[in-house]
Amino acid sequence: MQPAESEELVDRIRDTLRTIVDPEMGSNIVDLGLIYDIAVQEGGLVRVTMTTTIKGCPATAFLKEAVQNCVWYVPGVEYAEVRLTYEPPWTPEMMH
Amino acid sequence: MFGATLSRWTMSYFAAALIFLAIGEMMMVLGFGYPVSSIEAPETLALVHTIALGWLSLLMAGALLQFVPVLVGRPLSFPHLAFPALVLLVVGITSLVLGFASLAGTDGLSPLLLPVGATVTIAGFGLLVSVFATTLWQARPLPLPARFVAAGLGSLVIACLLGGTYAFVLSGLADAPGAIDLTLEGVSLHAALGLGGWLSFTTMGVSYRLLTMFMLSPDRERRSSRTVWILGAAALGMIVCIVPMILVGFAGRTTVLVVAALASVIAIGIYMADIVRIYRGRKRKLIELNSRAGIGAFAALIVATVIFVALLISGQIPEGVGPLVYLVTFGWLTGMGLAQLYKIVPFITWLECYGPLLGRMPTPRVQDLVVETRAAFWFRLFYLTVAVASVALYLDSTWLFRAGSLGQLIAVNALVFEFVATRRLSNVPSNLRLPGGFTGPHLFFPSFQSRRQP
Repeated sequence: MQPAESEELVDRIRDTLRTIVDPEMGSNIVDLGLIYDIAVQEGGLVRVTMTTTIKGCPATAFLKEAVQNCVWYVPGVEYAEVRLTYEPPWTPEMMH
Repeated sequence: MFGATLSRWTMSYFAAALIFLAIGEMMMVLGFGYPVSSIEAPETLALVHTIALGWLSLLMAGALLQFVPVLVGRPLSFPHLAFPALVLLVVGITSLVLGFASLAGTDGLSPLLLPVGATVTIAGFGLLVSVFATTLWQARPLPLPARFVAAGLGSLVIACLLGGTYAFVLSGLADAPGAIDLTLEGVSLHAALGLGGWLSFTTMGVSYRLLTMFMLSPDRERRSSRTVWILGAAALGMIVCIVPMILVGFAGRTTVLVVAALASVIAIGIYMADIVRIYRGRKRKLIELNSRAGIGAFAALIVATVIFVALLISGQIPEGVGPLVYLVTFGWLTGMGLAQLYKIVPFITWLECYGPLLGRMPTPRVQDLVVETRAAFWFRLFYLTVAVASVALYLDSTWLFRAGSLGQLIAVNALVFEFVATRRLSNVPSNLRLPGGFTGPHLFFPSFQSRRQP
């Protein structure tokens, strides 16, 4: 995949993830800064690195699964892998 | 792993707690216990334990089942013990309260209900302490809020052992000199460890985390917060040390109590400064009702602390302890409890109903499950009635206290109605209420369906 195509796919994934609204904050998870990284690899393999506002949040598994579902259905994505991290921990300053 | 699960029995704990609160409010309206009876009367002890154990302790236990995993970032150990603990606690506390009622001369009740109730209650708390202590132990080193919980659990254990001793002495089953000495001289320790250690200190610790989480305030461990923990834990440790001092007849207990009181007052002062910083440093400009209603509870804590210092300096603790304990129990602890329930109930309900649908279809926000303008009125009425009843106690006006309690009963029941409306999804816009053909949640009990949960 060409770099330009990759970038375009990342943008499409980011736009799709904006449809997921954090139920507590009422804002989408991209603008909240919960998506740390979206990496596109050969063959349409996409690795998303994300966090939650607080470690151990009971909504964590739901958010992670929602991200996985959303990314999977973006045209051009063949396989989606979501990794949860708390390094660095999320802070309110990360909101866009 | 980072996960924390949805606690299956938390809503059941909350429901039982709210029923005990309504019963306690009705007792006050009907003039059962203080101030109609004396502060040491069995009627008052029945009322105090209905509120402190039935309402506040069940509320705290239910909240900890959900939030200890959040505090330590790992799942709860032995979560299946939550239900048997709830059964033991409801049966034990009911029996304990009826035991006090029997001491007050209520016909048809045996005084043996008192030791039986105490034993069953202690067994229930024992199960819960095992669950929380194991979870905390496996999560070492503990973050600061969890250390508050650990100190609170330690206080609960000692308060339970003292309470159990009193129950056996009062029912005539124990007559060892040490047990009688503890019953005569140690009741204030039991109350301090229960209300101050278990309920207040734990609330303070959890509030550090929940308030920063709900208001998006900077979430870092401050030196001041560590000082609050050190001073508070030291004060509780000093209070515990007085127990062996009573048993061996050691003099100097008053000095230790005064030092513990001073440490507590300083800790509360620093804690309040931290809370002001958390509110001021929030990124969420619009404060939700749970955080706004919490301000009333903090105000009650400040007023109670000022009154406590004034009583301490003037040497009038015995005269002023009744109104003071009322203000702490209802203004601070009940106010904070109801305020946070207003957030926790919709949050848990959202997770139960809409969590599995997130990212698959449009779902409401947590805020869509509540109507703040309606509930705000009932919170205002609640705090007004706390103020009226507190003043009534200082004025020694029984009728004004009962009138205030009636208003409080109305406010509490209205808030219970709001919680039920939240559980019923009544406030959610109809197009988002039950997407995908899902059924609503059970009111009090966990769903045994195969609905996926994290």
